[in-house]
Amino acid sequence: MAITGRLTMTNQTSIHGILAEFDSVDGILHAAEKVKQEGYRKWDCHTPFPVHGLDGAMGIRQTRLPWLVLVMGFAGCSGGILLQWWTNAHDYVFRISGKPDWSLPANIPVAFEMTILFAALTAFFSMWILNGFPRWYSPLFRAKCFTRATDDRFVLAIDARDDLFGEETRKLLESLSPNTIEMIEAPIEDGKIPLRLKGMLGIALTLLLLPPAMIANARFTKSTQPRVHIVPNMDTQVTHRGQEASDFFADGQAMRLPISGTYAQEDDRLIGEQVGFWTGKENGAYLSSIPMDVTPEFEDRGRARFGIYCSACHAVNGSGQGTVHLRAQELLSKTWVGPTDLRTDAIKQQAPGQLFESISNGIRNMPSYSSQIPAADRWAIVQYLKESL
Amino acid sequence: MNHTAPTYSADFATAAASRLSRAGFLCGVVGLAVAIGLGLAEGDHMRHFWLSYLIAFAFVLTLGVGGLFFVLIQHITGAKWSVTVRRQAEFAIGTIPFLAFLALPLLVPLFSHEGVEEFGGLLWSWVHPHGDHAALITSKVPFLNVNFFVGRFVGYFLIWSLMARYFKNASIEQDKTGEHELTVRMRTRSALCLIVLALTYSFAAFDLLMSTDPAWFSTIFGVYLFGASFLAIHCFLVLSTLYYQRQGHLKKMVTIEHYHDLGKLMLAFTIFWAYIAFSQYMLYWYGNIPEETAWYLIRITSPWTNWSWIEPIGHFFIPFLGILSRHIKRKPPLLGFWAFYILVVHYIDLYWLVAPNLYPDTVPFNGVEVFALIGVVGLFLWKYGQQAKQHSLLAHRDPLISDCLAFQNY
Ligand code: HEC
Repeated sequence: MAITGRLTMTNQTSIHGILAEFDSVDGILHAAEKVKQEGYRKWDCHTPFPVHGLDGAMGIRQTRLPWLVLVMGFAGCSGGILLQWWTNAHDYVFRISGKPDWSLPANIPVAFEMTILFAALTAFFSMWILNGFPRWYSPLFRAKCFTRATDDRFVLAIDARDDLFGEETRKLLESLSPNTIEMIEAPIEDGKIPLRLKGMLGIALTLLLLPPAMIANARFTKSTQPRVHIVPNMDTQVTHRGQEASDFFADGQAMRLPISGTYAQEDDRLIGEQVGFWTGKENGAYLSSIPMDVTPEFEDRGRARFGIYCSACHAVNGSGQGTVHLRAQELLSKTWVGPTDLRTDAIKQQAPGQLFESISNGIRNMPSYSSQIPAADRWAIVQYLKESL
Repeated sequence: MNHTAPTYSADFATAAASRLSRAGFLCGVVGLAVAIGLGLAEGDHMRHFWLSYLIAFAFVLTLGVGGLFFVLIQHITGAKWSVTVRRQAEFAIGTIPFLAFLALPLLVPLFSHEGVEEFGGLLWSWVHPHGDHAALITSKVPFLNVNFFVGRFVGYFLIWSLMARYFKNASIEQDKTGEHELTVRMRTRSALCLIVLALTYSFAAFDLLMSTDPAWFSTIFGVYLFGASFLAIHCFLVLSTLYYQRQGHLKKMVTIEHYHDLGKLMLAFTIFWAYIAFSQYMLYWYGNIPEETAWYLIRITSPWTNWSWIEPIGHFFIPFLGILSRHIKRKPPLLGFWAFYILVVHYIDLYWLVAPNLYPDTVPFNGVEVFALIGVVGLFLWKYGQQAKQHSLLAHRDPLISDCLAFQNY
């Protein structure tokens, strides 16, 4: 047995600990048993490979890691469910293809993934923390015998901070017949991050600031460029105007009629009205009067509906100079046909039923409004066209 | 061979295996006789009995073929942990030719003309398409017809029996010769065998169980049955090992570490089973297409509602929480309890897969099922015991056995 290193124990504070090197598994197992029996608490074994039974010999308790993982797994699961419930079923309800707002099956995949994610990350990082990572440097690296602890030697190290640490510690280790015993001093510049690493970290952090800076820049400046369109989805699909021709459909029209048998879901009170009420025609002839009671409220409603639905094109005064029309002219759109001036005699002389039909089914370039405006309101607009415009 | 390597001796459990075998035979004969008697008394052309027999047969098939999956996977992965329990799985796969024999009675409901007008076939209604889906089912006749069906099963059993024979015999031969080359050869061959086994088992699952509702289809069904079978064989190995250890065998050769490993795989495949079962459910729930959801509809409506709850709760949550802790996996009797529990819910799972297809309006479960199960499992154990009687319980000259015993869990 050879004893190397500075063995003077005069200056306790400068000692980091004491190491004993063994060359067999049995040696270290036996030594660990003994050190444990003596009641040391701050010590460790370093072996080149996992040694069966060493945990038991050292008296290391089962790790608490599984409990952390379990708790965080549950947290991930319930967090995932809560997140989905809050975002999709509570705060801003999403209705997707007739599914219930809240149902467990749709939310299990996310809950499952969150469970795994939380559990796995907890296991990974808790393992680091419980093992005292990240750690840049250990004074043990300076011990000569420690270099072989990753190769073919087994090293037991007792920390000087242990309450029992003293002259007897060395005696104890000597009694265990190690190859060598080595004392290491506490390093002066322990645990400092090397300058090079600091520089690299600095650069990495600066680079990490770039994306948020770009986002902030985009958020607070104005640009005339169209915005970046990463996923165009159906934003730029082919569109058709009302009454436009189309080669695609057999009837040559782009506008689709509701399938036969469809009926309007309008005000229940009006169901059972005459055919003329719905079509503007009775026995093939246009109705010559409004098939509803004309009251002041009815007329007001007609004015309001005209303002809402028609004025954008036909203008509030019916001149046909609405904003849509003005804009189309500004763009010099070649295909644009201007809205009709609704104050002309040609329109004034039309029967109410004919006007109603134009609104309901659309006419030439003007699309149908029956899907947007209930029939009663369409009659109110006709009343407004006839009497007030 | 390295002269310092320790040698292990063979472990013949002749007496214990014979006892198991005899008890199994007794249960088999009595159980089946009672089940047939009760079935006849119901006067339903034996339809209920055949359902019970089919499920009981499927149950032992999952153990036999599950064992084959187990053995092949140990070989292809070069697994060390399992060497001391693998022989028991090899006995389980040794029963596969006998399982083919147990399948023969199912020809009766297949060919029988009884009840054909009423149900379209005692178990498989595609034998005589009728009712709402007749046109749909008729279009499947090129695949689902009696002759091709029987032909496929002859093929499946031939392939499985050959594989089982090879892997069992090679391992037993190693007991005598100790030849390392055998391990290498088994590892090489297990690759192709696994592919073939996965495909044949998937189709067998479609044929045997899924086609009891010929209008319904699910491509994941084979994977589902694989998950259930692989889970079942681990449970079976736990129970079988417990039995032999009680009888004084394998004492030092199967340690807490091996139970722990079996337990971990039980947990893993409880989760795997749930993953697959839920995937199938969720896709059908989401797609909401009538022809697919119909299968679940009969199961989530009365009278099958309660049985359906057993699936997520009894087959997943309870065993999942039950065997999650390492402390439970490291206590063999407790692990044995959970293994038994899982085998029970495994049976319920198989029953749930098939019975509602034949009995949408009633839950027919009664003594017939219980006795049929006792009978068929008894016969399985009879053959299992016979295998175990002749050979060592331990692949004692497997080159990996020292590693197997040195292994420890942390
Ligand atoms: C999108 C613009 C637009 C809107 C909104 C619009 N129209 Fe028109 N309207 C037109 C155009 C364009 C024409 C001329 C069509 C043509 O000649 O091809 C027209 C023509 C008409 C005509 C003349 C029909 C004829 O017999 O010549 C009437 C009446 C009419 N619109 C009434 C209405 C009413 C009432 C509304 C509100 C419900 C309305 N329009 C909303 C664009 C619009």
